[in-house]
Amino acid sequence: MVSKTSPAGTALSENDLEQRVLTVMYHPRAKYAWATGIAISKFLGGLKEGRILGSKCDRCGRTVVPPRVFCEYCFRHSDSYLELPDSGTLNTYSVSYISTDTTRLRVPIIPAVIEIDGTDKAGFLHILGEINPDMIKIGMKVKAVWKPSSERQGSITDIHHFKPLGE
Amino acid sequence: MTRVEGDFPVHFRYTVGIAAEKFLREIKDNGRLIGGRCAKCEIIYMPPRIYCERCMTTIEEYVNVENTGTVESCTSCHRDSNGEALISPTMVALVRFNHTHGGIVHYVHGDVVIGDKVRAIFKEKSQRTGSILDIAYFERI
Repeated sequence: MVSKTSPAGTALSENDLEQRVLTVMYHPRAKYAWATGIAISKFLGGLKEGRILGSKCDRCGRTVVPPRVFCEYCFRHSDSYLELPDSGTLNTYSVSYISTDTTRLRVPIIPAVIEIDGTDKAGFLHILGEINPDMIKIGMKVKAVWKPSSERQGSITDIHHFKPLGE
Repeated sequence: MTRVEGDFPVHFRYTVGIAAEKFLREIKDNGRLIGGRCAKCEIIYMPPRIYCERCMTTIEEYVNVENTGTVESCTSCHRDSNGEALISPTMVALVRFNHTHGGIVHYVHGDVVIGDKVRAIFKEKSQRTGSILDIAYFERI
């Protein structure tokens, strides 16, 4: 056994874990499949065609993206799906030097919420690119950079990133 | 309608802890079972714990426990833990041991019913790794 067996806890080094104490290794097979639903299916199908689709409620006049099957304000079915511009406004962002699998990054990724033009401040989380982190300003205009159509597969990553719309 | 598929690449390394370390090493080195005895409640926990669950006293005394027990509950499994069909059904049982509290869930060879007496069959010493699977299975006496 390692060092002191104090009920308050036993400090273990990496070496202890590798060689001195018994451990159980476990790799659960945690696969999942998620049905995207009616509205998001349309949205993802639109992305594959290089189009950003939103939904509109005729009662309150609100347009949102990603589209919903019902209006959250009026609690009634959305009336229509419509194509939106692939440009928008930067709502918020973060400069991250840690990737989604927690490895350290030399070049940061910049997750950002983009409000899509033609909506009532609706938008989604994406990645900002082609910009120096020091130059980012909340409220700046950005535009989608699409993957080539041959590489698009009906995923939010069919938009490669958003870039500054230019001064 | 579309669907999104994914995978969570999670890997665990679980340290078995002070009491289970003693328990597993006793199996590995000596082919015997041990429990932990609370000096105050005079209860033997099997597998051992570092605390008594009743009085919260630290358990420091380890005692040998016979490697025969009683089937408390059993299940014939036709699928593995990932839901894949097994070639042949596997019997799994909760085995409790005389004069102890607790028990072990493990493989049982042959058909057993609740109340059957079973015995732990250990792997060959050279094959043991300090795992609960150093007990190969339980068999009916």
